[in-house]
Amino acid sequence: MRSLARPAPAATPFVEVRESPLLKAPLRVSGEYRRPDADTLVREVRAPYAETTTLRDGQAVLAREGRPERRFALSRAPELAALQGSFGALLSGDPEALRRHYTVESEGDAQRWVLRLAPRDDRLAAKLRELRLHGRGDELHCIEHAAIQGEVRRTLMGAAAEAARREGDGADIAALCRGDATG
Amino acid sequence: MSAAARLAWALAWLLALLGFGAWLSQSLTVSGDLRRFLPDARTPEQRLLLDELGEGPGSRLLMLALSGDTPQALAERSHALREALADDARFVFVANGADAGLDAIPDALRPYRYLLSPRLDGGTLDADALAEALDARLQDLGSPAADLVEPLVPSDPTLETLALAEAWRPATLPQSLHEAWFDRAGRQALLLLETRAAGFDPDGQREAVAAIRDAFDAVRGGSPAVLEIIGPGAFADEIGTRTAREAGWIGSVDTVGLVLLLLLAYRSWRIPLLGVLPLASAGLAGLAALMLLFGDRVHGITLAFGFTLIGVVQDYPIHFFSHQHAGLSPRRNVRRLWPALATGVAATCIAYLTFLFSGVDGLRQLAVFTIVALATAALCTRWLLPALVDPAPRDVAASPRLLALWRRIERLPRPRIALAVLALAALAVVALRPGAFWENDLSRLTPVPAPLLERDAQLRAELGAPDVRYVLTLQAADAEAALAASEALRPALDALVADGAIDGYDLAARYLPSAARQRARQRALPAPDALRAALDAAVARSPFRPDAFEPFLEDVERARQAPPLRPRDLAGTPLAPRVGALLFEGEGHATALVSLTGLRDVAAVERTARAHGARLLDMKQASESLVADYRARILAALALAALALAATVWFALRAPRRVLRVLLPMALTTVLVLAVLRGLGVELNLFHLVSLILAAGLGLDYALFFEHAGEDRDDQLRTLHAVLVCSAMTLLVFSLLALSSVPVLRAIGGTVALGVVFNFVLALLVARAPVGEREAGPEAAA
Repeated sequence: MRSLARPAPAATPFVEVRESPLLKAPLRVSGEYRRPDADTLVREVRAPYAETTTLRDGQAVLAREGRPERRFALSRAPELAALQGSFGALLSGDPEALRRHYTVESEGDAQRWVLRLAPRDDRLAAKLRELRLHGRGDELHCIEHAAIQGEVRRTLMGAAAEAARREGDGADIAALCRGDATG
Repeated sequence: MSAAARLAWALAWLLALLGFGAWLSQSLTVSGDLRRFLPDARTPEQRLLLDELGEGPGSRLLMLALSGDTPQALAERSHALREALADDARFVFVANGADAGLDAIPDALRPYRYLLSPRLDGGTLDADALAEALDARLQDLGSPAADLVEPLVPSDPTLETLALAEAWRPATLPQSLHEAWFDRAGRQALLLLETRAAGFDPDGQREAVAAIRDAFDAVRGGSPAVLEIIGPGAFADEIGTRTAREAGWIGSVDTVGLVLLLLLAYRSWRIPLLGVLPLASAGLAGLAALMLLFGDRVHGITLAFGFTLIGVVQDYPIHFFSHQHAGLSPRRNVRRLWPALATGVAATCIAYLTFLFSGVDGLRQLAVFTIVALATAALCTRWLLPALVDPAPRDVAASPRLLALWRRIERLPRPRIALAVLALAALAVVALRPGAFWENDLSRLTPVPAPLLERDAQLRAELGAPDVRYVLTLQAADAEAALAASEALRPALDALVADGAIDGYDLAARYLPSAARQRARQRALPAPDALRAALDAAVARSPFRPDAFEPFLEDVERARQAPPLRPRDLAGTPLAPRVGALLFEGEGHATALVSLTGLRDVAAVERTARAHGARLLDMKQASESLVADYRARILAALALAALALAATVWFALRAPRRVLRVLLPMALTTVLVLAVLRGLGVELNLFHLVSLILAAGLGLDYALFFEHAGEDRDDQLRTLHAVLVCSAMTLLVFSLLALSSVPVLRAIGGTVALGVVFNFVLALLVARAPVGEREAGPEAAA
């Protein structure tokens, strides 16, 4: 797992797809995850709109164009906490932090692996069944967010995100996430 | 009657008392409502203070501070504590800075959001507004917080619910760390709670405080965090607990002391038993009378005062015991004592009668308790005790030590000029010592230790809790008019905030707009067809499904058709207490309150209030005027009591010199006690005044008995013995009270203890029969 660590500052493009019964088609947002320093994680959405979420010191600051900033405590927004606790911990090469928040199971081999993270915190577990992190070698390329209710949400990163962007709306996100398409 | 039969009867009496006492303690409910000890309100401000604000939000707020751990750990405890208490029926609300979100609006009222929210006043639900809202919702769905928002969107695409929750937030907020309130230094997590129980209800407050402590113990886990509870209710609880604890140990020490004293004084184990019978009978009879006449309104303070009457009641059997000796039948003994004893009882009872007309419920109760208890004790001593005592006990007059003491007393001077000088000096101290004479602060009637008060002010400032001294009031014919008037006042209030005169304000109209305002908002809502057209146009430009927002169309139409929400419709919702605390409806009138935070410019607020038909109410001034009113009544009652006492003594003794000898020590004692209290810088309150009456009653007894010490040397010795035992016992009881850390108990104890000492000494110096009269007595010839 340590080989996944990236010293700050680091950045990776992402594509995230969310299905909702309210929407005609799955919502697909893309942008960049950044770690400007060891304690901060930034999620910058560039398309189809601009929005920046900064996670730092247990707080999330949500900034949108032309609107006042909004702040949340991570403890009150389990999804944000999950992001910080899994992805953030992974990028900073901190397996201890990861194991503090999740029970970790790994499958596959070094070439193609899946980490299954089940939340330890009851409040988070009430909303999140598990996170599945897919990767190849020393690169994480997809996070699957399996909520207790609703569809699985997938976030592609790095090469997988770039592949999804190249392929446009027709991309098979699930396959990209599993690592099939770019195999 | 044989000794065994006498003992059996005494035990039977005791058993009957125990049974009656057990029954009484089951059926007696004691009220802690301080207002029973306050006079009826006369001005509108006083009425508001007593009737409305006494149970208002200020007095029901509890402030919690968690400290001693990292901010994150404290915030977690704060959230856990809020969750644990939020559903507890004992609390109206629990706030810690966490977003109340949807919980702020009950389901039944949710369609009303379009009538309650001020956000639509500026615009309407047209296609552009809806399109903008849909864009924002799409971003929400793409954000990590999507799961929180998604369920709301179909019925509320403009997120009016959240806008309303934000609009209802307090005007000024403490800083937020990890979404929990913290003090400025970031070391203490703060929570604000409102109890359902009134601030004047110590039992309810005690339960609430206990529930908070239990919840905290449950959520603390291994954290070293500590909890501090501050607020009127917590103070009442703290004072109640301390009073009970101290009254407990003082009572135990007293009991042991009294029994030892009686054993020492009479060298008989039966005397403590017989002594306790009239005492307990008096207490229970007093209680029973209170229950009969006042039902469940019996006040704790009445009882506290009432039981200090032990100091007076115990004197009757003691005089009787001291005078009992071989060769004198107990019945004859009690008949000889009766004139002095009856005069004392009658005078004290008549003095307390004046309290019946004081207009203060608590004082009336005190009068009833005192009169019934004194009369019972006297009657028990007169009619029951003689049958039970040993007719030939050790004669106290045979004690050589007592005789020596008597001789020394005989040689005491009879000061006249010295006493006159002393009296003048005391009067001078009373009149001339700088500093306030009276304690005018209503809150000090249940005195709170100063550090707690400071902490209260500090936390109140941190939490932006409303000013406790000033509040704006608006009077109107009914609730609707009061709400409309509050709405009209808001621009002026906003200007005051902008000018920095206040930090913020809160009023009922913020939660519940007037019906007129709600109707105006209804008129601004689009009709179903228009709304559907606008929504369709907006949805067509968005990635949302065309049928996603049917619930929204239904909600808007329900809001458009609904009758405006009135205060009574809020019953059972979390909004009811918020509105209820700021809007009072009475017969034919209604009062709306505007609470103020961070008040800096009182004059500016007052000008604004006057210009808009509102009134700035100074609670401190209102409560002080109430206390002053109150004192005037007590003083009037005291003056009447003094007259009644003098008249009774005059009637009994009928000789000016004797009357003077009896009343002078009492009067002088009152002046001296006042001088000592004033000299020590004590500001006088209700408790001092009532204690002074109690001390005067004691002084009357001492003086009456010294004045009528008896026909011969032996009788005089027995009287001396009785008065010595009485005053020693009273001194013991009240000196212990004076050592208490509870200011009320200390006030009573100190005043009466001083009174006992002065009364005893002065009765000796003034009241004993003049030497000339006594030298003509039998012993002089012997």
